[in-house]
Amino acid sequence: MNGSLECRDLTKSFGGLPILRGVSLCLEPGTVTVLAGENGAGKSTLMKIISGQLRPDTGEVLFGGEPLAPGDVHAARGAGVGIVPQELAPIPDLSIYENLFVGREKRTRTGLLDRRGMIRAAREMLTVFGIDLDPRTPMRRLSVGMTQLVEIVKNTSWGARVVLLDEPTSAISDREVERLFTLVDQLRERGVAIVYTTHKMAEIQAVADRVVVLRDGRLVADEPLAALSEHDIVQHMIGRELSELFPERPEPGTEVALRVGGVRRDGAPPVDLEVRAGEIVGLAGLIGAGRTELLETLFGVRARTGGEIEVGGRRLRPNRVTEAIASGMALVPEDRKGAGLVLSMDVLDNGSLPHLGAFSVAGWLRSKARAEAVGSWGRTLGLRSRGLSQEVQTLSGGNQQKVVLGRWLSGDVKVLLLDEPTRGVDIGARSEIYRAIIRLAESGLAVLMASSDMAEVIGLSHRLLVMRGGGVVAELDRRAMDAPDVQERIFRHAAGLHVA
Amino acid sequence: MNVAAPSTTGKNSPAQPPERRGPALGRAGEAVREWAIRNPMVLVMALVILYFLYMSDRFGTVGNLQTIAIAAAPFALIALGQTLVILTGGIDLSVGSVIAASAMTAALVVKDHPERMWLAVLAAVLVGVVVGGISGFAVSRLGVPPFVATLGMMTVASGLAYVLGNGAPINGLPADYSTIANTKVLGIDLPVVIMIVGFIVMIVLMSRTTYGLRVYAVGGNPLASRIAGLNVNRTLFSVYVISGGLAGLSGVILSSRVISAFPSLGSGYELDAIAAVVIGGASLMGGRGTVWGTILGLFLIQTLNNGLDLLIVPSYWQKVIKGVLIIAAVALDVWVVRRRSR
Ligand SMILES: Nc1ncnc2c1ncn2[C@@H]1O[C@H](COP(=O)(O)OP(=O)(O)OP(=O)(O)O)[C@@H](O)[C@H]1O
Ligand SMILES: [Mg+2]
Repeated sequence: MNGSLECRDLTKSFGGLPILRGVSLCLEPGTVTVLAGENGAGKSTLMKIISGQLRPDTGEVLFGGEPLAPGDVHAARGAGVGIVPQELAPIPDLSIYENLFVGREKRTRTGLLDRRGMIRAAREMLTVFGIDLDPRTPMRRLSVGMTQLVEIVKNTSWGARVVLLDEPTSAISDREVERLFTLVDQLRERGVAIVYTTHKMAEIQAVADRVVVLRDGRLVADEPLAALSEHDIVQHMIGRELSELFPERPEPGTEVALRVGGVRRDGAPPVDLEVRAGEIVGLAGLIGAGRTELLETLFGVRARTGGEIEVGGRRLRPNRVTEAIASGMALVPEDRKGAGLVLSMDVLDNGSLPHLGAFSVAGWLRSKARAEAVGSWGRTLGLRSRGLSQEVQTLSGGNQQKVVLGRWLSGDVKVLLLDEPTRGVDIGARSEIYRAIIRLAESGLAVLMASSDMAEVIGLSHRLLVMRGGGVVAELDRRAMDAPDVQERIFRHAAGLHVA
Repeated sequence: MNVAAPSTTGKNSPAQPPERRGPALGRAGEAVREWAIRNPMVLVMALVILYFLYMSDRFGTVGNLQTIAIAAAPFALIALGQTLVILTGGIDLSVGSVIAASAMTAALVVKDHPERMWLAVLAAVLVGVVVGGISGFAVSRLGVPPFVATLGMMTVASGLAYVLGNGAPINGLPADYSTIANTKVLGIDLPVVIMIVGFIVMIVLMSRTTYGLRVYAVGGNPLASRIAGLNVNRTLFSVYVISGGLAGLSGVILSSRVISAFPSLGSGYELDAIAAVVIGGASLMGGRGTVWGTILGLFLIQTLNNGLDLLIVPSYWQKVIKGVLIIAAVALDVWVVRRRSR
């Protein structure tokens, strides 16, 4: 008996639209297989079939030569398949350790919950990962990044023999990625077969033993890492040559569009900053540095306890989202499922939600104008959906992100706050989003962008602010950003290692 | 959402190869099948109707259809209001009591001003709007859970209904009061006309206006709606006001029908309204559901009431049958939705 997992000629379609068109794949123990492909190529669908969440139309999944019952989560789990889904599903009101042990709780001899045992075990599991958190912290209090780390720990620590990681790093910053790699290495040494999807090239180079590329539901490449260059991978993925990822940045204007003076929020030092019209300012930092919190405070979703915010010279009263939007501010939130999208509604409705006023006359929707506007930025960003009436819930992750960003493109926005704008977006679409951001800046928008992707934040910003502990600790201008040691400098500031 | 290939017939056993959409099935056939799979409740409704048609000669007569429609009208109004509330993820338990309180108010007004019928109608609707407004305020501004807020207002409104009549029914209303329920417009009873107008207005409201879209958005994800710049509080507030106002109107129709008002009028009606919405496929978590679904659910319940009456099923057994059918119908619906998305 070998412990390998095999997919034979899997096909799957949704609503008559083929998503997988005959995928065969064999996963060897102790190997990391990177699954690459554009948004909507079918990567998550393939993983869901392997883990029994979806039933294939034809084809089968075999473990050690034995076919697994299709569409049966328990059978897959019984065979040792563990999955960390792209869209996380923590139970927010339970604590970390309760989340880690849900479904396999420890009991004392009397049959009661062994909380102390679980807390102890949970602490150990977290330490292996280098996560310094009290296991009794409620899940709700964690950032998206921390939540992701905890979910990974949860789904790999029970002795799985096949581990499927669906974009495990989309929400964590480069530093935290190292911890993940350590864990992946440990799993590989234990002989676990790992499938890993990511849109980041550097990660492919770092973890892959083998690279499999899906395009439009077909397997177009399956090679050892050494046999493929980065360029090859991208070309397999998008089927064409990619133009330069970061376009030239136009000169920013002089007029200040966003002025933030001594803005305070609970437990953070006051923040001062300015963004001029046409300027792109990057916010770098580690997870927990307070970038998301700062953006939310500026937008008024999070309580501001002091200080002033001016947009285009107009002073905003604290904690009023409607006023922020009326003055021309827009936020693309980090947590697209929780704060960005209404999952039960379709692309058209989600895509026009912030601008209903512009798409209606006296409360009546102007369907045509709405469809045209949404369709137009959809094309700009290369949105892939089955028409505008597809529920966003069933879009691939990257395409969901395009909806959250794109919907602001049709309105009268002066200051755009971006929180991880390309999280989970494939490289082709990412270049489209960068182009769109630059174009917006060119047209006079002020952009404040938090991102954990170093290359992105360096390649796109005019100016860079580094955050730590809720405050801005360093500012790097264009010249400093062009220096070869810039990443190192940012890390030192972000981690508090900098000696001034 | 769209339909994946497997058919609804046949068991969901893993051994069976999943059925694929054959090319032989023509476009039209496919459309009909897809529609049937999407709307299992339509099939349930059809089966119920066929059964009663087969069992009773009187069921299919024009007169009986009128009876069903007339009985449905007051329920329809509160079910429409309930649809809005449930779409936002809330629930309105107070509508039954609002019916009583507004009917009592209308009765008092019409007794004092028999010549000004419109004043009575206005007063009744106003009572509903105020009660709904208080619920809405508690939910949207004070953060009281909808179940609790409307449970409280249910008690308040019911108490007020007794206060208004000193604990007794109000009888001896001017005979003119009965014209509200008995006038015919183009041969159709006024309550039925009001119901149909209500359906049309609500369907248009929910599918063609920004208001409808906001209700869906707020119910689907309040935080995301806020970040998209919607006034979540105002939307929440409004649905309770509308629900209350419609319940007030319903109270007028019901009391006009019997030319009297009593404090227990409408008691328990909120449950039928909620059942209609849920049978119609709405999610109690908010964000999902349609006016069409509610209409279907409403008529399923009304048809059952009527048909079981015709078959002279004892009323206690009617309750048992209705309850079981409601659960079975919704279970079927959920099962179909789940199969579709696998
Ligand atoms: N339940 C569903 N109903 C309809 N369409 C679906 C459903 N699930 C997925 N799809 C469609 O299948 C396609 C593939 O989705 P999948 O999630 O596998 O993409 P992906 O390769 O993981 O993309 P990403 O990189 O963006 O995560 C998408 O176009 C998506 O819209
Ligand atoms: Mg995916």
